[in-house]
Amino acid sequence: MRHPTDGTLRRLLDEPAGVAEADRAHVAGCEKCRVALAEATRDADAAADSLRVDAATDVDAAWERLSRAAEHHPRATTRAPRRWRTLLRSPAVAAVGVAAVLVGAGAAAAGDWLQVFRTERIAPVTAPEADLVQLPELDQFGDVVVTEAVDIRPVADATAAAKASGLTVPKVGALPRGVTGEPTYHAGARASAVFTYRAAKAEETARARGRTLPPPPPGLDGSQFRFTAGPGFAVMWAAERPFPALVVARAVAPSAYSTGVPFATARDYLLSLPILPANVAAQLRSFSSDGTTLPLFMSVEHMTSTATDVGGVPATLLTSKDETLAAVVWLEGNVATAVAGPLRGDEVLAVARGLGPR
Amino acid sequence: MVTSGAVRADLEQVFRSAYPRVVAVAARVLGSRSEAEDVAQEVFLTFCRSTVPAAEAPGWLSVAAAHTALNHLRSGRRRATREVAAGHAATVAPDVADAVVTLDERRRVRAALARLPRRQAIALVLRHSGLSYAEVAAALDLSTGSVGTTVRRAESALREELNRHASSD
Repeated sequence: MRHPTDGTLRRLLDEPAGVAEADRAHVAGCEKCRVALAEATRDADAAADSLRVDAATDVDAAWERLSRAAEHHPRATTRAPRRWRTLLRSPAVAAVGVAAVLVGAGAAAAGDWLQVFRTERIAPVTAPEADLVQLPELDQFGDVVVTEAVDIRPVADATAAAKASGLTVPKVGALPRGVTGEPTYHAGARASAVFTYRAAKAEETARARGRTLPPPPPGLDGSQFRFTAGPGFAVMWAAERPFPALVVARAVAPSAYSTGVPFATARDYLLSLPILPANVAAQLRSFSSDGTTLPLFMSVEHMTSTATDVGGVPATLLTSKDETLAAVVWLEGNVATAVAGPLRGDEVLAVARGLGPR
Repeated sequence: MVTSGAVRADLEQVFRSAYPRVVAVAARVLGSRSEAEDVAQEVFLTFCRSTVPAAEAPGWLSVAAAHTALNHLRSGRRRATREVAAGHAATVAPDVADAVVTLDERRRVRAALARLPRRQAIALVLRHSGLSYAEVAAALDLSTGSVGTTVRRAESALREELNRHASSD
């Protein structure tokens, strides 16, 4: 008879009843398996020792704490605006918000919305995490009003996702090891927000950080910028888990529009502010002239980016340094596609390169 | 997305039955009960805004606790502060040497856990938090047969990580 696997031996330690009678009988009479079992026992005991911890809890006190917190985080009507705020606040963030303002180019004519930024390229901006956390949030410079809230809903299938987003939902070829089952589909309409620059608010932000701002260029105070992104969809495997095993997402990439402000002036002013980390400002300045590069903020401590390609299209591969997370993102026209998951870089690339038309 | 109602009606019942285990899972990752309680709050806040069916809640919560705690290990700043604070406590504790050794041992276990492949780390922590093979299998979408293999690999990888680290110290 073949020797039972290491996994079977391991289970024998915890749940002997879960192991087939034939395997148990084999182990009892097999010297090799008994040695392997002894090794498994040693490792299991050592792990139990290493992981031992006193975790006695006071459930009542914890429940009270959660009730208070949940009251402040109702999930009802405030949900959509909060998502926008969260989006604009997280460090990865700034990507769409501050960045679109900072790298937008061209002078806008008064009156109508004029496109000042469209995503044609994605480039990583790397900085120590401490600097990214310090990046100012858009609402520290003015007012952010959500005009079309982010509203991502589950949809029935690929056809429904394509219909809701107006985008092609690609067929996913071979799945990486460990990713199984049927995916769920989610789609969202276009989202947009209007940002109004407020000189007084910007000064307040600067003062809170012990800085003073140079006087703003004429016309900047009260001028407006509109950001849009989407529509889009996401295909997720194991969606009811907090962290899906694989996500394939596609969306119309962000654009920014402006009314009545000489944009180059606004951009130069914002980039000169003493509250932007110098290394971040320098990187943004380096591609601020074209108004077509979407910065992807990432911390040098955790992430590495590599230039690659997907079907001949330039792409950016991001991998976490502890090899627990990878994502590849690329643009075709104004449509951005990302494949991401708790996987290795070569695994997300294989999925990306294996996407086929449906 | 569900947009009605304040928090889910079954929250308290789920919370009371699952909280101790959620803390136990997070504490095994973090080596600290107080940090684990912070993680548990975070996990339940996410849960109360989710549509996870109550029947799947225990598995979902356990995996979320492990993931969130492992993410905390990596973000690390708060932990570093706390370890400094704990270090201070150690210097006034009567048995300084013991306290230092314990702290160092904890730090090494945390670092080793953070280096394990994520799925192995989670299977290991869930198993050692008392989940059955069937529960670990359901929570991680594995076959029951491969839970033993994953846990076995994790334990052997943990030993190797700890040994390698010890010899390079």
